[in-house]
Amino acid sequence: MNIETFKYDNRIVRAFAIATVVWGIVGMLVGLLAAVELFFPGANLNFQFITFGRIRPLHTNAVIFAFVGNGMFMGIYYSLQRLCKARMFSDFLSWFNFWGWQLIIVSAALTLPLGFTTSKEYAELEWPIKVAIAIVWIAFSVNLFGTIVKRREKHMYVAIWFFISTAVTITVLHVVNSMTMPAGLFKSYSMYAGVQDALVQWWYGHNAVAFFLTTPYLGLMYYFLPKAAGRPIFSYRLSIIHFWALVFLYIWAGPHHLLYTALPDWAQSLGMVFSLMLIAPSWGGMLNGLLTLRGAWDKVRQDPVLKFMVAAVTAYGMATLEGPLMSIKTVNSLSHYTDWTIAHVHGGGLGWNGFLTFSMLYYLFPRLYKTQLWSTKLANYHFWLGMLGIIFYVVPIYVAGITEGLMWKQFNKDSFLQYPNFLESIVQVVPMFRLRSIGGTLYLLGTLLMAYNLYRTAKAGRFEPDTEAQAPALEKTAEAPHGKYSFHRLLEGKPMFFTVLAILAILVGGMIEIIPMFLIQANVPTIASVKPYTPLEVLGRDLYIREGCLGCHSQMIRPFRSETERYGDYSKAGEYVYDHPFLWGSERKGPDLAREGGRYPDAWHFNHMDDPRATSPGSIMPRYSWLLTQKLDRESLPARLAALRRVGVPYPAGFENGPAQKDLDAQAAKVVANLKSGSVTCDPDKEIVALIAYLQRLGTDIKSAPVTTAAN
Amino acid sequence: MEEKIIGSMNGAGIYGVISICIFVAFFTGMLVWAFTKKAAYLDKMGRLPLDSGEKDSNEKPQA
Repeated sequence: MNIETFKYDNRIVRAFAIATVVWGIVGMLVGLLAAVELFFPGANLNFQFITFGRIRPLHTNAVIFAFVGNGMFMGIYYSLQRLCKARMFSDFLSWFNFWGWQLIIVSAALTLPLGFTTSKEYAELEWPIKVAIAIVWIAFSVNLFGTIVKRREKHMYVAIWFFISTAVTITVLHVVNSMTMPAGLFKSYSMYAGVQDALVQWWYGHNAVAFFLTTPYLGLMYYFLPKAAGRPIFSYRLSIIHFWALVFLYIWAGPHHLLYTALPDWAQSLGMVFSLMLIAPSWGGMLNGLLTLRGAWDKVRQDPVLKFMVAAVTAYGMATLEGPLMSIKTVNSLSHYTDWTIAHVHGGGLGWNGFLTFSMLYYLFPRLYKTQLWSTKLANYHFWLGMLGIIFYVVPIYVAGITEGLMWKQFNKDSFLQYPNFLESIVQVVPMFRLRSIGGTLYLLGTLLMAYNLYRTAKAGRFEPDTEAQAPALEKTAEAPHGKYSFHRLLEGKPMFFTVLAILAILVGGMIEIIPMFLIQANVPTIASVKPYTPLEVLGRDLYIREGCLGCHSQMIRPFRSETERYGDYSKAGEYVYDHPFLWGSERKGPDLAREGGRYPDAWHFNHMDDPRATSPGSIMPRYSWLLTQKLDRESLPARLAALRRVGVPYPAGFENGPAQKDLDAQAAKVVANLKSGSVTCDPDKEIVALIAYLQRLGTDIKSAPVTTAAN
Repeated sequence: MEEKIIGSMNGAGIYGVISICIFVAFFTGMLVWAFTKKAAYLDKMGRLPLDSGEKDSNEKPQA
């Protein structure tokens, strides 16, 4: 037997570990600021770059892609080498992955506050950064597959299956959802419109949760939990079933984000049913993790690594039970748009991803530095601060969410809305927002304790850049003789064959949902009176996107009496055919705006944007006073209109070179005249004019004309 | 118009049937595959992460 000696690369693991801690703290700080702004709207100090609408995506991107992303790479780079008994395929690609990823994070941290955003949740970054993400991800994937190909271990452990599914699925999701038409360096329009854009976005959004926050971390659980417990996983057979069932089912579930919207009913039902089925593999995986510790629970009491892991796996179980329950249409009719969703994602995010990341960090630092953890006591404090933080975060927000849902739906005995003013529901839950920020603070404090503990551990030890290891070379003759065991050997012995099967498993669900949406025209019945936005409205809509208004305002009225009484006729698929991208939103901290047009005079909007509390006492909306003074960017209009035409909006040829400018001037003059009649003086070249024009357009296509659905 | 909508619903029904067929086929295949695995193989696979081949073991933190 030919024994080979080789070295595991620890430097790359350490780099990702440090990045995880640093970005984790940054992402949580931004989250805390966003949380404070929800009960103290002046916390942005009237500084546009840190307004809630702009830092909400910064927070989500930072914690998902910077904190968990770096944590994922840290865990994969450590475990993959040891599971394959091989150094990473290419040190260059490892470092390209590291520095590329950090550069992407820094670009996100700069562009999102500046308002460069596509508005699609968890895919907000503009197209040049999207291209960079694709390149870095491909580098990571090549490194992953290269390492698997040159491995010395014949079999691929189940963790590697999870890593492979992550690499391929994220590639597919990212490419399909990033199809945009650039209109300049930092502006693009989604290729898809309205309902189709919504379906593609949530097929992506849901599976970003599935294949970025879940599958890689499950792979890491299957590696680090047995390592920390010093015993094999409870049932390897169950892990096989867990893997295939999960990757197959997950991809179908996206439409549960769009229940009761204008999405065709068959797609909604499909999403709901597959979401419910997801409970089985998810709980199989959770039990597999917890049962690994049977007979060794005493270790959990002493070892902070296991303590964090057990809590993480339990949180995974809770979140994956709650998620399918929230996908039941009746439950969703109450929970959707409320803070319940925020509580759900934070239970999963803080508990599952956060705690598993902490456990890996506590596991890795002493091993990388060949020493012991500096303080087990401090790690225990961290554990309890984190636990309390989660409880103080989610419990108030569950209360807030259910309160909002119930108040929005409540009718009085005369059959009128009990709380006709949306603001009443928000004022009611503001104390919960305050409590939530205490939870967030505790969690952040725990993370800071960990950072200090890890720093002291590193200082006390001596970093080992490479770990020497030995293993027999993988003999080529290990291939199966013809026929015998061939399928099994093929599956495990040939990573590429395995990858093809995994891609098929994930593609089938997406294809069955998405392709009919594009092919069957009847899925989006057109409405004759719905027309493209005017040039001024296009610019106003882009301001709405820049400011992240959809972080708090939906544009999708569900077909419930409680919603049609409050907002007007329910939304129809045909109303959104020119919406590139769709702006349905997923959360209401303010009222729905789908039929906002004509509800208030122009002057009301002007005053409301200047100071929301002047028109709506108790409002938690931030001031947007810069819109009153900043000049509208008219120079980019031709590029924007041309890009929109390219994605299918029927502006006549040459419209952007002259006629559009005239149209814009005429409409701006009209808005200014309206403002004047409301005793407001404003120049026509200010941003607020465009935003008012856009808001006054919303939903009016249907209001002004009887709905006639064209036969198509 | 009604016919169009009903027509599309009928068309959509096929996707439900296709979905359930794919689903049943996939899960039957997967379960058969998982339950025909030999115990020795499963045991060996489960122990895989426990041996990382490290020479001077830093599997356990130093005392």
